[in-house]
Amino acid sequence: MTIWPDISFQDRIDTSEFRIHERAHITVNDDSCRGCTTRECVVACPANLFVPTSDGGILFNYENCYECGTCYLVCNKEGAITWTYPEGGFGIVFHRT
Amino acid sequence: MTIAVCIKWVNYSGPVESDTPDERFAGFSFADQAALEWALRIAEKSADEVLVLTAGPVGAEAVLRDALSRGAHRAVRIDIDLTSDSSVIARSLVGAMSQARMVWCGDYSNDRGSGSVPSFIAAELNIDQALGLVALELPENANASFTAVRRLDGGRREQLLISGPAVLSVEGSTIRLRRASLKNTMSASKQEIQVITATGDRVETPALRPYRPRPRVTLAPIGLTALERVKHITDTSSSKGHGETVHAEPSVAATLILESLRKWGYLP
Amino acid sequence: MTDADIIVVGAGPAGSCAAIAAARSGKRVVLIERGPFPGSKNMYGGVIYPRILDELIPQWFETAPIQRWVIRRSTMVLSDTGALNIDYRSNAWGQAPYNGATAYRPDFDNWLAQQAVAAGADLICSTTVTGLLRDDQGRVCGVSTDRPDGDLTASVVIACDGVNSFLAKQAGLYPNANADNYTLGVKETLSLSKHIIDERFGVRDNQGVDIEILGGTSGVNGGGFIYTNLDTIAVGVVLKLSKLSAQKKRPEDIIAELKRHPAIAPLVEGGEVVEYSAHLIPEAGLEMMPKMVADGLLIAGDAAALCLAAGIWLEGVNFAMASGMYAGQSASAAIDASNVSAASLKSYTNRLNETFVLQDHKKLRKIPHLVLSDRVQHRYPAFVTGVVERMFRVDNPTPKPGVRRIVREERKKAGIKLSELVRDALTGLKGFG
Repeated sequence: MTIWPDISFQDRIDTSEFRIHERAHITVNDDSCRGCTTRECVVACPANLFVPTSDGGILFNYENCYECGTCYLVCNKEGAITWTYPEGGFGIVFHRT
Repeated sequence: MTIAVCIKWVNYSGPVESDTPDERFAGFSFADQAALEWALRIAEKSADEVLVLTAGPVGAEAVLRDALSRGAHRAVRIDIDLTSDSSVIARSLVGAMSQARMVWCGDYSNDRGSGSVPSFIAAELNIDQALGLVALELPENANASFTAVRRLDGGRREQLLISGPAVLSVEGSTIRLRRASLKNTMSASKQEIQVITATGDRVETPALRPYRPRPRVTLAPIGLTALERVKHITDTSSSKGHGETVHAEPSVAATLILESLRKWGYLP
Repeated sequence: MTDADIIVVGAGPAGSCAAIAAARSGKRVVLIERGPFPGSKNMYGGVIYPRILDELIPQWFETAPIQRWVIRRSTMVLSDTGALNIDYRSNAWGQAPYNGATAYRPDFDNWLAQQAVAAGADLICSTTVTGLLRDDQGRVCGVSTDRPDGDLTASVVIACDGVNSFLAKQAGLYPNANADNYTLGVKETLSLSKHIIDERFGVRDNQGVDIEILGGTSGVNGGGFIYTNLDTIAVGVVLKLSKLSAQKKRPEDIIAELKRHPAIAPLVEGGEVVEYSAHLIPEAGLEMMPKMVADGLLIAGDAAALCLAAGIWLEGVNFAMASGMYAGQSASAAIDASNVSAASLKSYTNRLNETFVLQDHKKLRKIPHLVLSDRVQHRYPAFVTGVVERMFRVDNPTPKPGVRRIVREERKKAGIKLSELVRDALTGLKGFG
């Protein structure tokens, strides 16, 4: 039986406020990702920012990042994910957490 | 001389629970940020003073301090209810920007503002306006005239030559506001902000009631038999509507059109 | 002359308390926050135990922006269909001096930072610290920020920059950050009317409830929680990072599954998701703690892994506030003594050792790993609920079986060896006792 979620993923993300800066604070080294079979980041990122592409790479988005740090910690490829905090004043802004 | 920048304290996002924004989730719109950046760039060349103004309660001083930290020289807050009419806000802003040779505003604010304050300011100051600018080219000499491109309906653009005093409103995409240095950020919290209490003049809004057109006189249907009378009422083939073609100057034509509409009962 | 005496990086509970303590002893303090306001980057699993504030802010409970005072504390063990709930209620916890409180962190942390400003600290928001400045002898002497002209010097830097603490890592105080030591917390804030919350959770006025849940995380090692705010409730799960990616389960799906559990569904029914949030938790306690002190540098709060996640105890904000306060005091004392070397700042570590901050962690050092172990996670919930189910099930005309027999049979059914059970029980007894 398929159980449909009570809220779509996009709606879920839309409940959060993100002040988006033009600089991406996450970068992914495509070459490392092509050799990766486990793809931990794809499963673990709570914002679902990492998407595998059909040609074996990883497409990533930094705009809806909760800045938790899960991706670089679960990644087992040295240097595949470079992660810094976004520019001061930008990024996730929590309201009722 | 002074270059004035008007910025509005608005909610960035999230639920708006009252007219007064929560300081934590508020700031000034991208359009206002662009206006400040243009003003700062001109002032760098011309040695003008950049004066930032905002109209709102004491919480709005946060955006003024932000502007000061980014390079504005002086800040004024007009103490006024944020829900005041745009014309009242414009008038109170104008009262605090004497000697401004240029007034920069954002095109419209994040909170679905109508962008009417800039034009009210131009009317109050009785100077030119260049509103909704999407591109600008500043001259080398800050006092020379310069061209700007303005957005029109239907994707059209208008090029304006701006010389002399003017009110300019810009879109947020025209330029990105600079970041404040650490030292300026630290000192801005201690800088003085002048507070002016707005005069209490209010806009008189005429009493509102639902629109009701004047009754139109309809003659009794003509015909001997009931069928003919029904036919007379429902028949659309023979025109009973009003129709008149006039050839005149636009202003005269407009008057004629209004007169006719009034006569036929379409306008009160 | 330095720009400040003490720079505190991060205006969370640790940073603000450090700034309050340092500013009170007359130091020039700069408190730097990367978010647009203090608390904007912070979320947690629900309860603040603010008694440690008695020392810094007497009568804190009169001004602190809290949602509800926790007067009901439940621990729930979930199997697939059953639930064992141990529930304690004390109305005394709803009156001064209080015990625990729920609050929105963007409210609470902001309030706490304003106390630091009132004490004389300079608060600078929207500024990310990018690194440490060092003098020619390698001692920390300030920070660099992402603002133009953004270097700032000080005698002591207190890094309260959170669970990812890039400053502690840059200073070489974390040997290696290992995903095994972290859990991911994800949470939904659900909107429900105050009236419904009061009725569902059996509370009144500003009384609140905190429920910690073992099991119910779709086979991923971790736990869950539900707690009440004034007109929202929060439901979330805490998931062991290394298991999450191995199990191929998405965090939001695990919350959804928890919300569908027959024991949880009636509590959260009808709640509209008004905010989703995620954050890492330094879970491994003493085993992952970095060196807390270097020349000119102190580390406090989550940055120092001072977070207690020991099953029935989940605390962090109180450890952050206490460690921040002690760091601020030690830094001030070291400056007064004109010696900010690691040896002089060692008084900070001593204070942590003498107080609950490290004593709790030492006492419970084996518990985090025990609670997150596969046995406790996957077999014990079924075993425990199975035992209780059979104890209370009336199978007439069959007579009641003896408890010893039930335990033996259920233990075998859950696949737990007696030796394992005894060993875990001993670890638990030693740890908790």
